[in-house]
Amino acid sequence: MISSELSNRIIFILSLLGLAVASFLFYEYQISGSIVCPTGQGCDIVRASPYSRFFGISIPILGIVFYLTMSALAVVRTQLFSFKIHTLQLLIAVLGVGFGIYLTYLEIFVIGAICFWCVLSFIISIIVLLSVILARKNL
Amino acid sequence: MKTETKILGAILIGTLVLLVGGILLLSRGNSGPAGIEGASVSQIDYSKGQKIGSDSAKVKLVEFSDFQCPACAAAEPSVRSIRISYPDQVQFIYRHFPLPQHAFGRVAAAYAEAAGEQGKFWEMHERLFETQSEWSGLSKKEAAEFFLKITGDLGLDENKIKEQVNGNTIQAKIDSDLVEGRNLGVNSTPTFFLNGRKLTLQRFEDLNTAVSNALK
Repeated sequence: MISSELSNRIIFILSLLGLAVASFLFYEYQISGSIVCPTGQGCDIVRASPYSRFFGISIPILGIVFYLTMSALAVVRTQLFSFKIHTLQLLIAVLGVGFGIYLTYLEIFVIGAICFWCVLSFIISIIVLLSVILARKNL
Repeated sequence: MKTETKILGAILIGTLVLLVGGILLLSRGNSGPAGIEGASVSQIDYSKGQKIGSDSAKVKLVEFSDFQCPACAAAEPSVRSIRISYPDQVQFIYRHFPLPQHAFGRVAAAYAEAAGEQGKFWEMHERLFETQSEWSGLSKKEAAEFFLKITGDLGLDENKIKEQVNGNTIQAKIDSDLVEGRNLGVNSTPTFFLNGRKLTLQRFEDLNTAVSNALK
């Protein structure tokens, strides 16, 4: 268990980091050249696949919305920490990680390529979820 | 309001401002279907590269490309439609720009050139892009066998191919394309030059718009 303040700060900082990763990918999805990718050409393959969009929405946009919501909730939580806010954080974080599991499954088993930035975002979302869960509920 | 709320709130607002600013800048930079306005005319050596179309064509479209680059494979349908639609008005020139992160980009380029020595560059070019996902993940030996099999399917002389692939002529040709590309400021693939102007494409379909505008 970690204190509520520490948990909230971790959530805030990691959400901003996740936002940076998602924004970078959003930028890369707009241009046509190769993506800077430490795992070789994985990012290009993932971007070129039909799974780079979810119901017509570019996946990085979903990432941006997710991290923006998480960081905004962290700001709200510094002012009023209620059970509702915590539940909302938990719900959105679970949704985010769940979606991340689905995307990572697609990368490994369907597309057959790993996009470094997507996996990094997935790891960040897992730590965000853990911080939400581990927060001491000192309501 | 608590101090922490103020600090985190200010950081979040600052981040939002940066994000919105960045998106606005990005959308402004990409205004128009294909940004060629403002791009200066680069001096390209038109004697080099693999060509389709007449030397006297009004429009010269040069592509710096890498056979192992997924974006290049994704661009191929748009490029092919231009090659087919404007056989007389557009000369398409393919230049090699194998990126270092692609293990077989350069080898594939060499096989395409070797096929070109026997008059089948474009057939090889097409097959390499079509099968890109099949050979990209292979080992070095398997990839070489894969390329040889394609040349075999195209009815080319296998011994000649093997001999030429590592030969100085073809390697020098690829190097010269790479050097010229770098001098022209190419840093990603595919990079297109339309009558010497570097294109900034949002979607590869915009290539057709850019070419038809140049033909007006």
